[in-house]
Amino acid sequence: MVRNWLKSLEWRRGLNDWARSDGVTWIYIGKVLTAAFLTYWIAMRLELAQPRTAMITVFIVMQPQSGQVFAKSFYRLLGTLAGSVVMVTLMALFAQNSELFLGSLAIWVGFCCAGAARYRNFRAYGFVLAGYTAAMTGLPALAHPDTSFMAAMWRVLEISLGIVCSTLVSAAILPQSAGAAMRNTLYQRFGTFAQFVINGLRGESDPASFEASNVRFIADAVGLEGLRAVTVFEDPHMRRRNGRLNRLNSEFMTITTRFNALHQLLERLRRRGVTPAVQAIDPGLAALTRLLEPFAGRALTNADAALLANRLSVYKADLPEHVRSLRAEFVKTGPSDDDLLDFHTAYELLYRFVDDMHDYAQTHASLADHRHAREKWVEPFVSTTSWLSSLASGVRATFILGVMSVYWVATAWPSGASMTLVSAATVALSATTPNPRRMSFQMACGTFLGAVLGFFITFFVLPRIDGFPLLCMVLAPVFVLGTFLTTRPQWVGYGLGLLIFFSIGSAPDNLTVYNPYAFINDYIAMVLGMLLCAAAGAIILPPNSRWLWERLEGNLRQQVSFAISAPLRGIRSSFESRTRDLLHQAYGLAAGKPEVQRNLLRWMFVVLEIGHAIIELRREQDILPVHPSYESQPWRQAIRAMGRSLIRLFIQPDRHNLSRSLSAVDHAIVCVQNTDEPFAPHFDTSALRRVKSYLHFIRTCLLDPQSPLAGAASEQVSAASPQGQPNAS
Amino acid sequence: MPRELAFHGVYIPTVTVMFLVAMVLSWALDRFMSGLDLYRFFWHPALLRLSLFSCIFGAMALTVYR
Repeated sequence: MVRNWLKSLEWRRGLNDWARSDGVTWIYIGKVLTAAFLTYWIAMRLELAQPRTAMITVFIVMQPQSGQVFAKSFYRLLGTLAGSVVMVTLMALFAQNSELFLGSLAIWVGFCCAGAARYRNFRAYGFVLAGYTAAMTGLPALAHPDTSFMAAMWRVLEISLGIVCSTLVSAAILPQSAGAAMRNTLYQRFGTFAQFVINGLRGESDPASFEASNVRFIADAVGLEGLRAVTVFEDPHMRRRNGRLNRLNSEFMTITTRFNALHQLLERLRRRGVTPAVQAIDPGLAALTRLLEPFAGRALTNADAALLANRLSVYKADLPEHVRSLRAEFVKTGPSDDDLLDFHTAYELLYRFVDDMHDYAQTHASLADHRHAREKWVEPFVSTTSWLSSLASGVRATFILGVMSVYWVATAWPSGASMTLVSAATVALSATTPNPRRMSFQMACGTFLGAVLGFFITFFVLPRIDGFPLLCMVLAPVFVLGTFLTTRPQWVGYGLGLLIFFSIGSAPDNLTVYNPYAFINDYIAMVLGMLLCAAAGAIILPPNSRWLWERLEGNLRQQVSFAISAPLRGIRSSFESRTRDLLHQAYGLAAGKPEVQRNLLRWMFVVLEIGHAIIELRREQDILPVHPSYESQPWRQAIRAMGRSLIRLFIQPDRHNLSRSLSAVDHAIVCVQNTDEPFAPHFDTSALRRVKSYLHFIRTCLLDPQSPLAGAASEQVSAASPQGQPNAS
Repeated sequence: MPRELAFHGVYIPTVTVMFLVAMVLSWALDRFMSGLDLYRFFWHPALLRLSLFSCIFGAMALTVYR
């Protein structure tokens, strides 16, 4: 009896595991098949010109989560409309002269690819579509310009049909919502972060895991922003919380930066051993660790967040009193000026950290309500892309299309149109991926597989079957294979190539045409077109190579000047998100080169810490009360001079600029120290003391021997001494 | 209702126009329901929205092909 029960239990558990992992994939495959065949059937029934275009739309648009399908569909529709309009316009202008038409088409596709690389989310997809729809409809119609308007109309209809069917299927049948995925990530993230904070405060984290966790938080922040943009399309529940989700992400970035700053300071203090300063700081940290322990390593629900907010507010209220008593004890040990500054800075950072975490917990708890005052949030996530990388993408696309067109015009190859068209589609689809070469190559392999399968099915199977159900039976195995490949991130290219180009070449229209010569020619053209795209991706300004990381590293450093000179409104959120977004891109591009990745990460820490301290300084100055000791004093001028020297340092990090910045910071600290303050110099009331803490913090960042700034300075020394060839590598 | 509408000399099936009108109406209804947080009473909001749209569109189309 018991054995039977156990057996059934194990079996059930196995089934549950399967349902949660592979089961989801199979359900997704089933949904794709349903949507594809539904579209195919309706398109054939309505006698649309190319039922396969409608079906391909399904393959392109379908994603496991329904919110993503909506977003992609929306942008696909916009892109198709734009592309069709451009194609009809070009056709009207240059119908008599195919050279001019092809030239302007190449420029248009290049422009769209640049746009796709610039806006990396689903908006990119609209650009991709705008580019290749123009090519897809324009090239086949080039010989008969009079049909081009109708071709564009049919295409819009077919794509709308595909979009309607796939959104219906993905939303109504066993939906996997992006909203749920987002909630899950959001809830888990704080648990991980709490564990990370506890380890850091206890001084137990090693550098490798510290970096890994930070990379994860950054990826989460960027990923959540993407999910948030998608759930708006899907879920009214989440749409009502859009502002708070935005805010939550922004606040989370703030607390991670804050914690990194605190952690960096603590590490530096601990490296000196157990000094009185460390002993004075530790009790406050231990209290925070105890507070966070129940929340570590598990999902933070809305109710948990409310509890956390309560506890944090109690802790925050007690902190000043606690600090004052600790400080009194610490002063008895007769600390040096520097140690006292370290103590103040550490507690200032801790206080701010707790304050920000309290905000975060409150925002999280507010998600439970349908309406909330916290919904009003005007600091959006700002992403930045290096204009150079999008320009590279555009140039690559224009070049590929130009070469293809020249070849086509010169040889008058009958399949030249398919080659040009396919390369336009491939270059556009791969423009949004970090590694276009790999994507194009995978698509070429997928297409080759599609060609082999398609040849077999078209010429050996299709002549023997009759009726739509049998056709579905025949096509289903190929689609299952292709969809399965697209669900695995490392094989997406193979899957896409197989699905799209199998359908283009081998899925029959209402009137099936058997023409082996054209078939083979077209597939050769397609594979050639893609291979050329792969080659161009590897040769023309490849994005995953040195020049682009260095460029992005420079952009990353320039965020410091953004923090210094941008308008103060909404600056914190945009600074945090821009920096993270840049790092996330650069990190993705430098995949497989851990040395480069680590370097980028270290730069990001420095940039975030110093930038954040500067923003705090600017805020402090902004809210100072009107008083002669605050206005146009030497200390304010000294801080301004420090800002200028920091901009110089981060544009060109060398020994000379570093020492100039250091002396500027020292000068600012001295100026602040020499200013009399009207109010009692208490920890929480004195603005100048806070200013001094931030200045001290900037100073410790600059002095940190492990930071890349020190690395850049010493590298310069060693490069200057042996020979005078700094750029030889 | 006429089965086709003349729009600047182009004949459009009335149901196509109604499809668009139904889309706008169901969008407004969706806004209204989400504003009052009524979706929490339903098991499958997406299916509900789809069904509501079908009802609206069907009711409007019935006036044409009756």
